[in-house]
Amino acid sequence: MRKLLFILLPVIAIAGAGVAWFVTRMPASPFDDAAPDETPSAEVLAHGEYVARLADCVACHSTPESAPFAGGLEMATPLGSIYATNITPDPETGIGGYSLADFDRAVRKGVGRDGHRFYPAMPYPSYAKLTDDDVRALYAYFMHGVEPARAENRKSDIPWPLNLRWPIAFWSAAFSQSGVYEEKAGQDELWNRGAYIVQGPGHCGSCHTPRGLAIQEKALDEGSNLYLSGAVLDGWFAPSLRGDHNIGLGRWSEEEIFEFLKTGRNEHAVVFGSMADAFNNSTQFMTDEDLKAIAHYLKSLPGNPEKDGAPWAYDPSSNEALAFGKLGETPGAQTYVAKCGFCHGADGRGQGRWIPSLAGSASSLAPDSVSSINVTLNGSARIVADGVPDSYRMPPFRNQLSDQEIADVLSFIRTGWGNSGGAVSADDVKKLRDRTDPARSEVIVLQMR
Amino acid sequence: MKLQINNKAYDVEADGDTPLLWVIRDELGMTGTKYGCGLAQCGACSVLVDGMVMRSCVTPVESVAGRSITTIEAIEEDEVGKRVVEAWVKHQVPQCGYCQSGQVIAATALLKQTAHPTDEDVMAAMANLCRCGTYNAISAAVRDLAEEEGAQ
Amino acid sequence: MTELVKGLSGEEALPTGEPVNISRRKLLLASAGATAGALVIGFGLPLGAARAQGPGAMAPGTRVPAFLEIRPDNMVRFLSPFVEGGQGIFTAMAQIVGEELDADPASFIVENAPAGDDYGVMEGGGRYTGGSQSVRSSYDTMRRLGALARQMLLQAASASLGVPIGQLTTKPGAVVHTASGRTMAYGSLAAKALDLPVPDPASVKLKDPSEFRWIGKPVERIDVYEKSVGKAIFAIDCSVDGMLHAAVQHAPRLGLTVGTIRNEAQLLAMKGVHSVHVLPGAVAVVAERWWNAKRAAEAAQVDWKEPGPDSKVRYMPADFSTAEFAEKLATAPGDGVDAEKEGDIAGAFESAGKVVSATYYSQYVRHAQLEPPSALARFNQDGSLDVWLPNQAPEMFRADISARTGLEPEKINIHSPLLGGFFGRHFLYEFANPYPQAIELAKEVGRPIKLIWSREEEFLRDPVRPMAIVRFRGALDADGMPVALEAVSACEGPTEALWGHQDGKVDESAVEGLTGKSYAFPNKRIAQLYVQNPAMIGYWRSVGNSMNDFLYETFLDELADEGGQDPYELRLHLLKENARLTTLLKSVVELSGGWKRGPFTAVDGTKRARGIAMASPFGSHTAAIAEVSIEHGEVKVHDLWQSIDPGKIVNPAIIEAQINSAVALGLSEVLLEDAAYEKGMPLARNYDMYPILPPHRMPRVHVRIVESGEKMGGIGEPGLPAVPPAVANAVSQLTGRRIRAMPLSQFKFSS
Repeated sequence: MRKLLFILLPVIAIAGAGVAWFVTRMPASPFDDAAPDETPSAEVLAHGEYVARLADCVACHSTPESAPFAGGLEMATPLGSIYATNITPDPETGIGGYSLADFDRAVRKGVGRDGHRFYPAMPYPSYAKLTDDDVRALYAYFMHGVEPARAENRKSDIPWPLNLRWPIAFWSAAFSQSGVYEEKAGQDELWNRGAYIVQGPGHCGSCHTPRGLAIQEKALDEGSNLYLSGAVLDGWFAPSLRGDHNIGLGRWSEEEIFEFLKTGRNEHAVVFGSMADAFNNSTQFMTDEDLKAIAHYLKSLPGNPEKDGAPWAYDPSSNEALAFGKLGETPGAQTYVAKCGFCHGADGRGQGRWIPSLAGSASSLAPDSVSSINVTLNGSARIVADGVPDSYRMPPFRNQLSDQEIADVLSFIRTGWGNSGGAVSADDVKKLRDRTDPARSEVIVLQMR
Repeated sequence: MKLQINNKAYDVEADGDTPLLWVIRDELGMTGTKYGCGLAQCGACSVLVDGMVMRSCVTPVESVAGRSITTIEAIEEDEVGKRVVEAWVKHQVPQCGYCQSGQVIAATALLKQTAHPTDEDVMAAMANLCRCGTYNAISAAVRDLAEEEGAQ
Repeated sequence: MTELVKGLSGEEALPTGEPVNISRRKLLLASAGATAGALVIGFGLPLGAARAQGPGAMAPGTRVPAFLEIRPDNMVRFLSPFVEGGQGIFTAMAQIVGEELDADPASFIVENAPAGDDYGVMEGGGRYTGGSQSVRSSYDTMRRLGALARQMLLQAASASLGVPIGQLTTKPGAVVHTASGRTMAYGSLAAKALDLPVPDPASVKLKDPSEFRWIGKPVERIDVYEKSVGKAIFAIDCSVDGMLHAAVQHAPRLGLTVGTIRNEAQLLAMKGVHSVHVLPGAVAVVAERWWNAKRAAEAAQVDWKEPGPDSKVRYMPADFSTAEFAEKLATAPGDGVDAEKEGDIAGAFESAGKVVSATYYSQYVRHAQLEPPSALARFNQDGSLDVWLPNQAPEMFRADISARTGLEPEKINIHSPLLGGFFGRHFLYEFANPYPQAIELAKEVGRPIKLIWSREEEFLRDPVRPMAIVRFRGALDADGMPVALEAVSACEGPTEALWGHQDGKVDESAVEGLTGKSYAFPNKRIAQLYVQNPAMIGYWRSVGNSMNDFLYETFLDELADEGGQDPYELRLHLLKENARLTTLLKSVVELSGGWKRGPFTAVDGTKRARGIAMASPFGSHTAAIAEVSIEHGEVKVHDLWQSIDPGKIVNPAIIEAQINSAVALGLSEVLLEDAAYEKGMPLARNYDMYPILPPHRMPRVHVRIVESGEKMGGIGEPGLPAVPPAVANAVSQLTGRRIRAMPLSQFKFSS
């Protein structure tokens, strides 16, 4: 399994020797003098497991073939692949030797026990907001709730000198949060709980917030209207989670956001792409209260109508192009009828909550076509809700449709039914085809124990 | 949930996301509609819903509640369907026959919507798979039907 | 693990063996399987003298009542020893038997015969549906069967009319007493006739072919109407009272076994779920409806165990990839075991003007028949077992079921519904058929079980056509004419995969198509280098020929080009002593309007080329020409001309349909198909990632039948092998790029 993370490491500045102390120093932890708790209570373990769900540790630190949390997931970067590490309590290959303070530095500061800096594929700028309580419980869970598994960490394929880790310290200093989440005055408890999960363990911004030149998230909280305003990562467009009518949650109610995170689907959309992983392993396991809190918080983030453009409204005139006798007139119409319409409907509106509408979907309205192309080429992973796999899956079409055919049909979809995403070129398709793999069709349930 | 199939009303108990195909085959015992892939790839499961072709393996049953469904069992009750079957016999189309329910349904839907299908229409409408390779016989039958219709 | 529901099992009546009155032909195919509550099994054998003649006393194919029933309405019900799966065998049997019986094939109702010695009608005994053997191996026997039945009808009429049998003759469906002008319909005589002892088979005289009314004519198929209106019944359509449905999740790799099911309680709580079962290499869920069973089977979270050191099961390792395996075959040490050897190979290469060496590749391919495998099993109160299953060999399956269950074969009723395509899929491949699972589940649950494999589970267990990697060497003389050919094929044949490899022996099913070629090479050596596959290997339409004729005929074009010869002229030259194949080769060239290799510009402005190839599979001979262009970077085949010489024929319309069918499969193989594996897993589990030929890529197909009068050959498979090399040779000529591997979709061409 390969995950694409487009991390632009070369922009990290090379520093002089004079600051070597800075880049190798061990940051302080509030747990530096804490006594180890060798027998955490069942409550603490359950709490820790829940935090691991909130933070979706398993999605990156496990593969379908590995023992739980034994690492190995490949993440492709332009410089070479990096591999998620073993975070089981195995003393030699995992984190069995970590003290609570070591663990804290790893999770919230991105610093390993030996002082090496983590690649920011690990979302420690978000995890920095975790409360001490949550970190303590998480540590207890990993030490006592996870089986130790011997699995050597795999070195990254990034060549020297780009594989040097110490320059990352500057990056961390510039872009990472320094403290835990602080409740915002004037907002109620529900809002604050939602904000904490979204900004902290949920690390929603890792995908949904645009990144700067140094691949840092441009904002880490609602203080900026760039926060969660939609971004492209891993070959997917993660839509805006703000009130944007077209590419955000403007048309969704709190109840619908809740339903989406809880069941993987609602009347507007079905999870796919990277969000399928987030749903399968994380959001569905959150408590109803926490999901309501997230929905409540997200609905408080205003949209940006200027950037979002004219509000989408369904335009049935596109259906005329799909009528027999007209199919030859519009490129892509014939492919739509033969390949897409059986599931997504002859009117592009999908089938209830089961098969998503293409008319008005965020990916059909987003200027960046990457999600449209990716899901067409590669399909989507199986959605497993409450242990039960989905009834319908999106198949990959990479072995059936040429670059031009995909470009044509997506251009039709992204400009039809009132959609404003715009046309797709065969070249766009080719580029993504070359660097992506089809989704696996079998059900994958990553185990946490 | 109430379904209207071949002009008969049925009350079915399946969950709303159950594919129409399995309601028809298992719950209602009509086996003319075939399972081939479950993924809208082959078309063996094609049925008519309000005269339009749908692939019943990817049709959640709740989405067709109250609509008029026609399966292959009743295809000859449809005037166009009857002519399609006659053309299939005339051109000796079927080999193993497993995909042919879907092929006949697809051709019926096409000809019900347009008496004079263009090449693009035929290509889009007659996209069902046939492992026996009856494609040339199918297109001969469809061409025949289109010309026959055109002559009227 | 297993939750048994008591009190619901085996209560229904068992109409086993009771005569069934089916008056309307349209219902017939529906009765071949079973419909809920109205089960029809086997055949209502009349208790007459012929039956009383006792099993074993009569040669297979002679006990007339085991095959034929003539209804009062003159319809002829016939039990076919060969399974219908699209190849048209029911119609061919109706023609052959009807010809001698003097009954119109259109009056035939044909069903698959149950298991039984009477049906072992093939030359050499036994029967299976495969190897394009059905008609050619039973032709005389089945004609004689019809003649025996006619003789019995004549005897009955003689008694009824009180006239000597010598004064009687027949017209279709009736006995005629010409002198008095009286006729008696077969239907009115049948009850009496079929009670008579069957006459000595040597006593009946078969028709002279010049008298044939139906054999050799394009008689209409007898099953097209039912198949056009959804009334044909396949195994997947069968049902019996009280049955439950089952679905499985297979181990991701062959050889693994179930360790633990982590979420069994959750599965049992899912809607409609009856029970969860551990089977060899699979978890099964039994439910009220298949959809519920399938969802729960998919939801099962299983920890799979690697096999122990003493496991006998073919094992798919976690690091297997077809790409690496192809290279392993290409570089496997050794030069193989001789399959064919002539002349002085070493000497010929030493004295050659030029030696051409190249390695050619073929791929794994799937059967991908449209009907997913299923099985319905029911244990009866009398201790017998009924099994409905797709199969190409009822007695072999019965023997296997007997071995699995300990039941005597007589206690096992094999029902063989129509096959929704087969192409070799439905033989006895280990772990590749659902019936052992269905039988085990029926036993555990105490109710009839119908098990369907989802397409995804099917693609995980479908035995693949083996890949062969062939190292070719050809020697050319100073004039560029080939004088020696050597082919060493690294391959495992399906026959040895099924029955066991014997060291030092060649598996004919691995090398056929490299062997059996008629080109006059004074020096040649064909050899097999056995390398076992981790994937289960199966017979695929045209078996070894499906790949080997591609490999051989494309290398032959490479030799022609290296020697500066035209490939058509070279073939003519190499066949100059062979009048039959020379005629055949010229006929396809004539059919295509004359040899025109190209590249040339067609009237629509596209640049095109043609390729030619031949094959001699399954007792028939074929020659094909393909015309291709490149469109949007992929190969487009415009026309495919094929001539076939099967010696003698039964139905030219079915032959033409079978050539169309074989062309489609051959094109699918050469253009698209590749059952690739990575990490021990097939990359494709459905048609999405394993596309088969879609309608818009079907070319025009032109067929010519050359009836040489030689020994009858096969029809179902021979049309395939010449197609892939004809296409590949055309593409090589068009693009200037030598094609040495299938499928062509792996290459990017510029238009």
